[in-house]
Amino acid sequence: MSVVLAVRDVVKTFGAVRAVDGVSFSVRRGTITGLLGRNGAGKTTTIRMITGIFLPDSGTIEWAGGVGGGDARDRIGYLPEERGLYKQMKVVELLQFLAEIKGRRGAGVVKDIDKWLQRFELGEKRDAKVEELSKGNQQKVQLIGTLLHDPELIILDEPQSGLDPVNMVIVRDLLRELKEEGRTILLSTHMMGEAERMADDIVLIHRGKVVLDGSLEQVKESFGKNTLHIDYEGDGDFLGTLPDVCRASIVNNAAELSLSEGADPQKILQASVGRLRIRKFEVAAPSLEEIFIEKVGHETLEVVR
Amino acid sequence: MRKMLAVLKREYLAAVRKKMFIVMTVLFPVLMSAAMLLPGLMVARGLGEKKVAVLDGTGKLQSAFTRTIAPVVPDPKKALRGRSRGELPQTIKAEYVAGTDVKPYLERLNADRNASNRLDGVFIIPADAIDGADAKMTFYSRSSTDVITQERLGSIANRAVQRLRLSGRGIDPNTVDALTRDIPTDAVQLSRSGEQKKGGELNLILGFLFAALLLIPSFIYGLEIMRGIIQEKNDRVVEVLVSSMSPRQLLTGKILGVALVGLTQVTAWMVMLSAVGAYAGTVASLAGINVTQFLRPMVFVYFFVFFVLAYLTYVCIYAVAGAVCNSEKEAQQLIAPISMLMMLPWFLMFAIITNPDSGLAIGFSLSPVFGPLTMFVRALVSEPPLAHLAISIAVSIATICAFFWVTAKIFRVGILSYGKRPTLGELWQWLKVA
Repeated sequence: MSVVLAVRDVVKTFGAVRAVDGVSFSVRRGTITGLLGRNGAGKTTTIRMITGIFLPDSGTIEWAGGVGGGDARDRIGYLPEERGLYKQMKVVELLQFLAEIKGRRGAGVVKDIDKWLQRFELGEKRDAKVEELSKGNQQKVQLIGTLLHDPELIILDEPQSGLDPVNMVIVRDLLRELKEEGRTILLSTHMMGEAERMADDIVLIHRGKVVLDGSLEQVKESFGKNTLHIDYEGDGDFLGTLPDVCRASIVNNAAELSLSEGADPQKILQASVGRLRIRKFEVAAPSLEEIFIEKVGHETLEVVR
Repeated sequence: MRKMLAVLKREYLAAVRKKMFIVMTVLFPVLMSAAMLLPGLMVARGLGEKKVAVLDGTGKLQSAFTRTIAPVVPDPKKALRGRSRGELPQTIKAEYVAGTDVKPYLERLNADRNASNRLDGVFIIPADAIDGADAKMTFYSRSSTDVITQERLGSIANRAVQRLRLSGRGIDPNTVDALTRDIPTDAVQLSRSGEQKKGGELNLILGFLFAALLLIPSFIYGLEIMRGIIQEKNDRVVEVLVSSMSPRQLLTGKILGVALVGLTQVTAWMVMLSAVGAYAGTVASLAGINVTQFLRPMVFVYFFVFFVLAYLTYVCIYAVAGAVCNSEKEAQQLIAPISMLMMLPWFLMFAIITNPDSGLAIGFSLSPVFGPLTMFVRALVSEPPLAHLAISIAVSIATICAFFWVTAKIFRVGILSYGKRPTLGELWQWLKVA
């Protein structure tokens, strides 16, 4: 698959802070790339450079959608992390405006707006003022505004923050659909579960640097199959104290245990059998969350110390 | 271009639909006409009655103070010519006492508000008023600003004293009035083109009126654009905007949109004011003043040109303030001293209108920022040389271009800086980098 967006050695400094410090990655056409990292890692600054809000101090950003004349920015749809809408405007007028500044106008726009509003169950809010909408609904309006001009590359900065579970599913389905239509999506998030469900590729940024980069499968494989996923009934707190378990996250009768090198999962099973009712026992690659914590968590602890 | 137009359209509609716009459009002319017509109304209605005790140490001036001092007969002609000053229509009820015992009267001055014997003033004529070389009259009142009553009583007393002095020298009191009659002065302006204009005081009023018309929208909508930019920053709309267009497109759209709003409003005002003006003009021409001699058609052309120039200059300044600040409060603090500076010609307006060809007026009218307002007022009340007009317009256009360039640059960096306000040094960096 061809690369549509190439970020090469990009640096951006604010005062004494190197917010982005030599970031390079590429995004393949028709995929969802997850841009992961903690708050303040440099994700948003990277995205702002891609969208042309900031100019990088050094490095280049190549966007293959630039061909065909006109404003290359018009083929990017951007949902900023900090949502921003004109609160005094009517929903339909605001969306028309957002389409217009992306170079789209004409009769078809209103029709599309209505279609999108229906889909997001906002049909009757069409003529309401934005400030009368709930936060979640405002967010959906902004997402519609991101997509109205039919962009090739869609950049979403934390699209699901603040959404309820139902809307999260709506957005997730929408992203898959957009991907099937051949669009490219760059998804910035700190919700590892979402990234794991949707991303084809991941780019993990920490302190302005890329610390992990590749397809989701590759990345997980490189961490080996040394993680146990156990679902059970009973009190499983002891699981974390077993020998060979380096790290455990135990939540609501489900445990994810990282095992030390060469440990035998069977021993864990044996130790558990008498004390828990096991419903699921799986040896698998670590979850993205585990990888994330392993990659960037330790360093944080060092800093605290 | 289309994106710029989209921003322009949005800004315009958003502003015009606001309640503030409608209120301002209706209220401003009402306030302005009130300010113009109020003196006339006061002439008609009067200011009420003042109770004054006159303590006459000489004991000889009773005849001057025994009758109620009636309001001056309303005379629209005099009122329009601004000659009503000093003879404002106020009834003074004088309580004449021959004597010098001030104390009981001063007590009544500060008596209870509802007390029937409460006085508004105590006027004291010393015993040596007629012959003493250093005699001084004294007027006590609760407010030292009651100059009008003071002046009237003073002039009545003076006239009475003069009559006494003159009759003391054997002149018949009845001929005294004829001998001491004041002669009024009429102002006539002889313009460069040789035409004569009567009623120069009206020019003063017109000058202030048009200066206000020129300035007020600039400040109101300058503030508005500043507020808009800050709100866009706070609402984070700006990120969507600058990811879709260049800051220059955004700024152009914004400023032109708001400029159009200002023009719409001023046009509405002009229409309303010309209705009021038609009425006032009729009254004035009854009074023998030809209003059209001041409101030449060129005045409206000048107004349009200098309004646009002043407006764009101020709006650019406000836009920068909006771009570098994060809260309205912060921006207000930043802009307050700057707008005081921009208002400088307004504070000097009296001097400029009365001496439109002075060095001060010429200097201001040819300088950036102050130029449009000063030049317009000069053009309104006199006939400045065409070269001055041309230089002033050129300087203003250059200023606006420079401001716009700077604003666009600062806008680009400043609009996304959510942190603390930049220092001057940082601003300079922005200018060089952005």
